[in-house]
Amino acid sequence: MSNSVNAYTAALDHLHRYFARFEPLTKQEFDQFLPYIEVREFDKKCVVIRAGEVERHLNIVAWGLARKYLPVRGRELTIQLATEGHIIHSDLSFHYRTPSNCVIETIEPTVFFSITYENLQEAYDVFPKAERLGRLLLSDLFVKKDTRYFDQLRKDTRERFLDYVRTHPQMLQRVPQKYIASYLNIKPETFSRLKHLMRPGKR
Amino acid sequence: MLETLRKYVSGYVALSDEEFHLLADRIVVRNFDRREQLLGVGEVERYMNFVVQGLVRMYFYKGKTELITNIAKEGELVSSSASFLSATPSHYYIETLEPTILLSVTREDLDAVYQQSVRIERLGRLLTTQFVMQKEEWEHECMRLDTRERFTRFVERNPELVTRVPQKYLASYLNMKPETFSRMKNLVKKRPAINKSHVK
Repeated sequence: MSNSVNAYTAALDHLHRYFARFEPLTKQEFDQFLPYIEVREFDKKCVVIRAGEVERHLNIVAWGLARKYLPVRGRELTIQLATEGHIIHSDLSFHYRTPSNCVIETIEPTVFFSITYENLQEAYDVFPKAERLGRLLLSDLFVKKDTRYFDQLRKDTRERFLDYVRTHPQMLQRVPQKYIASYLNIKPETFSRLKHLMRPGKR
Repeated sequence: MLETLRKYVSGYVALSDEEFHLLADRIVVRNFDRREQLLGVGEVERYMNFVVQGLVRMYFYKGKTELITNIAKEGELVSSSASFLSATPSHYYIETLEPTILLSVTREDLDAVYQQSVRIERLGRLLTTQFVMQKEEWEHECMRLDTRERFTRFVERNPELVTRVPQKYLASYLNMKPETFSRMKNLVKKRPAINKSHVK
């Protein structure tokens, strides 16, 4: 991984464009926001937050890949696989200031743009545009969560598998299969069996 | 009627009388009988609704089975929120279970009020956060808690719904078979002192 200045600049540009999708934001306005952001770097397979800790940060993936899971009776139930541009944090813990039920760990070497809870509240008070940006970002997050929730309830195993691999072809290369299977709530054995559907002519 | 809404809102932000009136001026009162459909699958949700009185359920069909995803009572918000927020077709039906009075606001009106008051926009941001958190919490509970724990937790939080809502709907909402639900109910009746250490 080359953490060159260029890589950071590119990732920040990307973040700016992402914000601007929700609310027009000049470069100047975006730059005013930068002092609130902290860059955090993690090696692969690093724990970002443990269960029982209170989440201090909201993280946006600059590059890399992180996984959020819920430990339940000795199993790890994957809730999220976050790549470039995604928001990942233990949100209930962050918002309610309570100990986290979830664990977040990196799968690849990962760089986060992070903002602490306190800084975020201050940013909402200081920047007039922050309220709107925050509201629209959260709306988008809600709609995505609802879609995932609905898909889990409505689609059968085969549909969940096929829809995911079609829309996230690169994830199969980047993420151990057992994590994707867990994310899709599919048994690892079933997941392996379904992979034959991906061969050409099998759809 | 507006007083209950005002009280609800004050749990999130302190609005001045003027600010609250900006919002109140946009609100329409809507009355429904029991078993009236407020929204169908495929329609775009126009309203965010606050339940003043009554009971509303949200559901969809998986094959021929109804799956209930939400039951809202007095003092709660109800809407096909993803549809409302993104102006896309709803995945869910919304129907009243009792005669219901709603205070409703359209997305256009809400957007107009957001332009007028940054504090109301903050209210919008905090409520949207709340939606996200509730969804996250529900997902965690479904994963972490077993059937009995889910039942106990629900009854503790919503004791009155057990008598107001048909049992098969509650079972569907808690994702259990109706038989399991009535078994749980009898179990809890026999041992009213619920062991709270079960529920974290």
